[in-house]
Amino acid sequence: MTTGGLVVGGLEIGFGDAPGLRAISFSVARAERVAVVGASGSGKTTLLRAVAGLVPIHRGTVVVGSRDVTRLPPELRGAVYLHQSPVLFPHLTVGENVAFALRLRRVPERETLKRVQELLTAVGLPDFAPRAPRSLSGGQRHRVALARAVAAAPEVLLLDEPLSALDPTLRDEVRVALLGLQAEYSPALLLVTHDLDEAALMADRIAVLLNGTLAQVAPPAELFQRPDSLAVARFLGMRNEIPGRVRSGRFECALGSFPVPAGISAAGELVGIIPVDAVDVVPSPSGSARVLGVIHRVQGTSVLVSRNGVELEARAAASSTPKAGETVDLRIYPERLILLPAIA
Amino acid sequence: MRSRLRLLMAGVVILSAALPFAVLAVGSVAGEWRWPALVPSAIEGDAWTATLAGGTRLGPALLYSLALGLATGVLGTCVALPVGRAIAELHGWRRHLGAGMVFLPVAAPPIALGTGLQLTSLSVGLGGTFQGVLLAHLIPTTGYLSLFFVGILSVWDRRAEDEARTLGANPRQVLTRVTLPMLRPSIAAAAALGFLISWGQVPLTLLVGRGRVPTLPLEVFGYVQSGQERFAAAGALLLALPPLLALGAARLAARDVDVVPV
Repeated sequence: MTTGGLVVGGLEIGFGDAPGLRAISFSVARAERVAVVGASGSGKTTLLRAVAGLVPIHRGTVVVGSRDVTRLPPELRGAVYLHQSPVLFPHLTVGENVAFALRLRRVPERETLKRVQELLTAVGLPDFAPRAPRSLSGGQRHRVALARAVAAAPEVLLLDEPLSALDPTLRDEVRVALLGLQAEYSPALLLVTHDLDEAALMADRIAVLLNGTLAQVAPPAELFQRPDSLAVARFLGMRNEIPGRVRSGRFECALGSFPVPAGISAAGELVGIIPVDAVDVVPSPSGSARVLGVIHRVQGTSVLVSRNGVELEARAAASSTPKAGETVDLRIYPERLILLPAIA
Repeated sequence: MRSRLRLLMAGVVILSAALPFAVLAVGSVAGEWRWPALVPSAIEGDAWTATLAGGTRLGPALLYSLALGLATGVLGTCVALPVGRAIAELHGWRRHLGAGMVFLPVAAPPIALGTGLQLTSLSVGLGGTFQGVLLAHLIPTTGYLSLFFVGILSVWDRRAEDEARTLGANPRQVLTRVTLPMLRPSIAAAAALGFLISWGQVPLTLLVGRGRVPTLPLEVFGYVQSGQERFAAAGALLLALPPLLALGAARLAARDVDVVPV
């Protein structure tokens, strides 16, 4: 049990006739950031709205800051929800938008103005109080929406795809503002996104929502190195699945026999995953693998190779990328091998 | 070539809009004006001087119609907004049923509606009264305005209201601080539309008012029937001005909200 923050226990939400979300349990500590990732339509937004009290739940509990808010209306939950596109009230100035929650609580006007100025300064918009929302750029609107949310002093900040609608430069601008505000005011932060990079950049832990349940909740490094299941690994975009068998501490497959990495207890029929960056191609005229194609990505270049009937994606040095049809050798780092039970 | 065509089109539009008013303006001061004379034989300002001096039925009728139109616009909007919202929040056949029900008074011929309302108003003692005519005007007006709000609120973005709730606003505060201010242009347009529906209403006023509720359209009708053409033209001009003012006011309200420093 965390002190403060958010605790969700056994949540069940229906999607009409569809199965919906079930047995959702997780916590977000004060000042912690948790990202929920999942495919489009997996229920990420519904989960966030349920925590905010904006959609009904069938079963389960929502505790915010040690208070059970399951049956409370949204305004009494202490959880502020922000949509993917910032929704500023168009009939109010930027300053009045930020002051919205403070005026609802009848905070003295002098204190309200001081707080508004502090928050606008914190998001890098110190002179924007008199401006109309329609005069702001996309990034500025996001920052004002964040300042307005933080002004409500929430225990929990719920962000729905906070950076998805922004171009890459604005993403950095809003991310910096968001992380700065969270560091200063320490709400628990729960965000949902379909972008794994965004989740890894922003979150202390990532929760993977698959088939209506949380398949795994782990820090980014652990999640990417040790997915709990083949379904999670596939969702994370991991390629290079090779069926095999563990025998006498070694994983035997079509590519050869590799020692089972330390710390993994496995036996029997399994699927091995060799991460792309754990296989290097080495140009060699007498190599055992043939290059099928070259794949260019922002993160780097890789090649698709075939060896013993197994197709693999492997990392290639930018200076010596082989061409399709050439033969290469593969250098595999077995300590990076991931062994998972096959999906029945 | 294109700019000349545009100029020509603009001229035609302006002329077609202004010509009826010009004819009415001339007619309101025209002495004898028979075909094929292009201009009246004399100018006589008695219709206007008498109206301004309170010597005709047009002045009181104008005030009566204004009061009736304003009350219909305001009350109709107050009723139609929640009705429209309730229908807009329904789905599937329920929404169709709700929209169909508010469409009924709009679809019914005014004479049929007026006949029914006349019988009802007589039975409850409202026949021939301002209140009775107001209620009669409210029936088609509420129907029109409810459909107007169903259209607007069916595509209304609820995200601002959701965020206001999680920021700490209860439903009443969301309504007064977010929804109504954001709907202000639509509310102004609805009130103007309600005013206009009442302003031009003749059959319902005649049947429910039983001739004892002297609105401007009825008085103009009376002057036309009795052959007092200058007075009829002056009344028709008075009849045309408030709708223009109402549309102008709605247009002003629909402008972007002015902002003031915090």
